[in-house]
Amino acid sequence: MNSLSVYLTVAAVLFSLGLFGVLMRRNLIGMLISIELMLNGANLNFMAFNRFLAPEPAVGQIVALFVMGIAAAEAAIGLSIILALFRRLRSINVERAQRMRG
Amino acid sequence: MSMMWLPHDPVLTAALACATLPFLAMAVILIFTRPYQRLSCAVSVGAITVCLGSALYLLISLRHAPAPVEYQWAWIISSDMIIPFGFLLDRLSLLMLTIVAVISFLVQVYSIGYMHGDPGFSRYYAFQSLFAWAMMTMVIAPGMLQLYIFWELVGLASYLLIGYYYEKWSASQAGKKAFVMTRLGDIGFFLGIIAVLLGFGDLGILHMNHAAQAGDIHPAVVTLGALLIFCGVVGKSAQFPLLTWLPDAMEGPTPVSALLHSATMVAAGVYLMSRIFPFFAASPDAMAVALVIGTITMLLASTMAFVTYDIKQVWAYSTVSQLGFMVMSLAAGGYFAGVFHLTTHAGFKALLFLCSGIFIHEYHTNDMREIGRGGGRKLTIPMICMTVGALALAGIFPFSGFFSKEAILGVLAAHPNKLFLAAGLLGALMTAYYSFRLIFFILFPRETSEAAHHHDEAHGHGHGHGDAHGAGHHGHVFWAMAWPVMILAAVTLVLGFFQNELQGYLLGLEPVAHGHEAAEHGGHGLGHYLLLTTAVCLAVGGVFFAYLEFGWKKATQEGFLRKFPAVETLFANRWYMDHFYRKALDLCVYCGFTNIFTRNDRRVIDGGIDGICRFTVGGGRAVSFLQSGMLQYNLVLMVAAVGVLVLVFAL
Repeated sequence: MNSLSVYLTVAAVLFSLGLFGVLMRRNLIGMLISIELMLNGANLNFMAFNRFLAPEPAVGQIVALFVMGIAAAEAAIGLSIILALFRRLRSINVERAQRMRG
Repeated sequence: MSMMWLPHDPVLTAALACATLPFLAMAVILIFTRPYQRLSCAVSVGAITVCLGSALYLLISLRHAPAPVEYQWAWIISSDMIIPFGFLLDRLSLLMLTIVAVISFLVQVYSIGYMHGDPGFSRYYAFQSLFAWAMMTMVIAPGMLQLYIFWELVGLASYLLIGYYYEKWSASQAGKKAFVMTRLGDIGFFLGIIAVLLGFGDLGILHMNHAAQAGDIHPAVVTLGALLIFCGVVGKSAQFPLLTWLPDAMEGPTPVSALLHSATMVAAGVYLMSRIFPFFAASPDAMAVALVIGTITMLLASTMAFVTYDIKQVWAYSTVSQLGFMVMSLAAGGYFAGVFHLTTHAGFKALLFLCSGIFIHEYHTNDMREIGRGGGRKLTIPMICMTVGALALAGIFPFSGFFSKEAILGVLAAHPNKLFLAAGLLGALMTAYYSFRLIFFILFPRETSEAAHHHDEAHGHGHGHGDAHGAGHHGHVFWAMAWPVMILAAVTLVLGFFQNELQGYLLGLEPVAHGHEAAEHGGHGLGHYLLLTTAVCLAVGGVFFAYLEFGWKKATQEGFLRKFPAVETLFANRWYMDHFYRKALDLCVYCGFTNIFTRNDRRVIDGGIDGICRFTVGGGRAVSFLQSGMLQYNLVLMVAAVGVLVLVFAL
């Protein structure tokens, strides 16, 4: 029950759910949340490997902290882009953002 | 090339002249002199005259040669197999060469008159030269392959000449029919050649004959080869079942019918049989099959001639029947009799066709009743010559046909099964009947009541032409046609008396001894005279019967077959052979093969290309999703790419 593969499976499930969400959701904020989910899944993966395969050096923990920081920054930027897009389109439906001309 | 041989070997020069000059004439006419009609005619006739001279020279200078003169050059060399090209000048081939040259010459001279004013004059002479080239080189071929090649070329010339009036639908159809039907026979011929090649290894005619006689070839190979090669004979010489192309071939101009479809091309089949006669004779089974087919052909075609009113068709059916008679003779072992009949038949059949041509040219109709009503009997030269030809065909003394028919009947009498002799005699009776039916239709015409006025005009017209046979604006046309006819009539009168000389020439020093030959030159006993009398009585009887039905003043000119309308219809429809072929063609070829190939063309080939198109368009449509501006479609592609990479690195 407390083995590496369980954690890896959970991380994979989280990642897949996030991937599915990014690809299938029409709501831009929903896509952003799904991206966060993917990042969390990857994070869990790192920690699992750190715990079971590399005990002393705490490299995995440091990477996880990095990931969390980057996730936060990226969420901020993503939200600003969504705001800018909303001002143009008056909607957060990704299907409205199809025009490729400038 | 021939210049090198000129001082050294005149025989080779003569042979080369025969083999190349008509081809050169054809090339010159087709390439250069096509617009100049008289020049083309002169080129062609000049070439054939030189060939005639060469053929006569060869015949005379080599008549006492002890062994055949053979020239061979290696033509195609493939590892240890060498296909030769050359000339075989032995007694039989020189005799046939002379026949071909003489009749080609006479027909080409005749055509000057017959085809005068025709727009395709040059084309006609080009094809005549093509035919002369092909036929002559075929006759002196030393090997079966060369013979086959020129055999096919002769078929091509026939197709071109039958379909000469190509604007006429029936003519082009007839040309196609002739070519396809003879080609069908030629499939068997080629398979036979392959059988001989595989079983024996050499296609040289002299070698084949010698080995077959000596028993060096396995009997199964001989029988198979002989039977298959006989298929070629069936096709080319219009034997049963491939005989319906010949009556249709009468769509061509009459000189073409005289040359190709009576004297030379159709005789090529009989010539082939006599050429490899020892090979054939080594297989009694093949001889038996050939005998039966010859008999059926002879009787069948004679019946068809009873009911037709077209002057050329009668002679066409007669040709088929006489060819059957020749095949019967050869198949029963009578080598000389068959070749002799071939020679005399070439003479009188060409004569009959050429005379018919004069009538057709004058009255612009093929119907013998119309010709008779138009005053055919007033044209004295053609009428006399036609009667001479018909007498020869019926086998009346002293014409050439009498002697050759007697020779064949003698051979048939020596055959153990007397059924064939009975068939031969019946055939002689029928031949006399139908040929004189035609003569009497022309000599003693009956007018129908509506045609009374037309008859009076035409009568005067015919009368005028008949009397003024040198005067008038087409005087030279008439004489160009009359001279060949008179020469042939003279030949028909005297050729019969040269039977013994010809026999000595042909059989002379040949090492081949045929069992039935003894019966030919030895049979002067009571049986022989009985046979002679019977045949003569039958022939005269046939003529008399025709007179009773058609010539006599009280005759109805209806023929005894009118009383049996079912039989008459059977004969008129060519025993429904054409119907059968049409059905078979429709069923097997058009519904079967053509269907399969059309479906293949539409579904597989066109379908395949269309499928590629649809695939490309569909693929394009699929890829165009990436250009739609939808972010998520691009993301899907990225995920898929990553997935593929993962798989690639994992495995």
